Amino acid sequence: MQSLKHIAIIAQNTFRESIRDKILYNIVFLAIALTLFSIVLGEWSVFDRSYVIKSTTLSVMSLSGLLISIFVGISLVQKEIQRRTVLTLLSKPISRAAFIIGKYFGLLAVVAVHLMILTVLFYLMLLVTGAEPTASLLTAIYLIFCEMAVVIAVALLFSSFSSTILSALFTLGVYFAGHLSDQLLEQVKFASRMGELNDSSSILLEKTAVVIHAVFPGLYRFNVTTYVVHNVALPDMYLLWNSLYALGYVGVFLAIASWWFSRRDFL
Amino acid sequence: MIQIENLHKTYHSGFLMKPKLALKDVSFHVDAGQVYGFIGPNGAGKSTTIKVLTGLLNFDSGKVLVNGVSPRDVKSRTFLGYSPEQPYFYDYLTGRELLKFYGRLVGLDGAELDSRIGWALELLHANKDWIDRRLRSYSKGMMQRVGIAQAILGRPKLLILDEPMSGLDPMGRRDVREAIQELNRDGVTIFYSSHLLSDVESISHRVAMIVDGKIVREGTIDEITESCGVEYHVRTRQAILAADLPEGVTPAGHPQECVCADDAARDRLLGFCLQNGIAVEKMDHKRPSLEDILTEEIARAES
Repeated sequence: MQSLKHIAIIAQNTFRESIRDKILYNIVFLAIALTLFSIVLGEWSVFDRSYVIKSTTLSVMSLSGLLISIFVGISLVQKEIQRRTVLTLLSKPISRAAFIIGKYFGLLAVVAVHLMILTVLFYLMLLVTGAEPTASLLTAIYLIFCEMAVVIAVALLFSSFSSTILSALFTLGVYFAGHLSDQLLEQVKFASRMGELNDSSSILLEKTAVVIHAVFPGLYRFNVTTYVVHNVALPDMYLLWNSLYALGYVGVFLAIASWWFSRRDFL
Repeated sequence: MIQIENLHKTYHSGFLMKPKLALKDVSFHVDAGQVYGFIGPNGAGKSTTIKVLTGLLNFDSGKVLVNGVSPRDVKSRTFLGYSPEQPYFYDYLTGRELLKFYGRLVGLDGAELDSRIGWALELLHANKDWIDRRLRSYSKGMMQRVGIAQAILGRPKLLILDEPMSGLDPMGRRDVREAIQELNRDGVTIFYSSHLLSDVESISHRVAMIVDGKIVREGTIDEITESCGVEYHVRTRQAILAADLPEGVTPAGHPQECVCADDAARDRLLGFCLQNGIAVEKMDHKRPSLEDILTEEIARAES
């Protein structure tokens, strides 16, 4: 119970710290600008305007969430260590796991507020432009939130033991690997079926693709833009299973981050 | 309250993780109710020891207990207050907001939190208008006061202060010294490191001296200074020839003054004076100061 209270206090402070970060505002304004720009893109595009606005805005939500996780999230832990504020904080009767989890929820709240702002703007734009503001779009936004929940956990995991730049690169790596692992596996399997993968190096390539697909979080699962934009129904229980999938990865990443952080020396 | 036995700590630095032994077989105890000074030159291992006690650093081997609990256990920090050397805080908060944040982390809330903040600020003479300004505008002395205030908010049984008087002007030093003494009168055990040896001598019940990662002296101020020998400066009514002075007694520059290196030399001189009817006008005993002993120990470690 006491730990939950500590987590809430740290999360609240993290939220307060983040919303005073100029980088956050730059990302939020950029995201708003790009979202508005999607109207112009819709006019210019050969595709249906509604399709362009919806798919562009959902992509902006995902990418801006990623940028917040990287530029705000990673620096949150590193700043605590570099500015030595962590010394006073961890000398209080709080566990290092509570510190990591508190930071996590603080940043998750920032991303949630960011997505909420973009969602309101998104629906206003759809109403103004006469595009169809379906409720299923909320499903896609919810899954982007789940994706960001995983990405923030990845960012915190790396920032618990490496420098800011390395953490950013690692997090970006996981993001892209998580989005492309499915396609990579598909391509390798296709090539295998075509009989193009026979030598030992090709077998190694296939095994690597399988490992990447198995180990990295499958972030492609959270991208349902095509489905919702074209009003295609998602499979039953899709939301539930993918929520649990995200929760599982978040739990594992935070557990590793907490374990690693608890082994660290603070000079 | 604090029990450290055979503590060893190694740092690994650089690309090749070159080891450097920071603490070598450190042992000492701090009993409840004491003001315990921890002194030594820069880089001797004071902050390392303090960070081991507060659970911020892991250690290689040895036994460390804080209030009977290992510092690796969160419970050891339940009744612990700590202010680091040159405290750094969230500079986007005001001093009062910061104290509220730390107060909530130690389980305080509402009116109790406000009254405890008021008490801590009064104790440190920090209940001024600057406490409601952002921390980024604070001087080093203001930061130090806020640092100590956050450490005492939870009414700790053990207060650990790393260089609490650094960056303070004479008034600030006096305020902190008085705060330490008042907290100690209320039963708080205080363990602190300091470079200001005159302050350490004036308020500490016991002192440990660390040089190059090793404890070289430990005890009360009297025990430490006595262990280094006491000189006696004797002034007689009439001059004594240098050649007549007993063993261990040397002239002090003035013909009627001499210096006895120890108790035995003093007794020999007094016996000589009695035998020869020389009246003793004045006798002072002079102990070396902590600074003298520390300087001597540093020189010994360097040699």
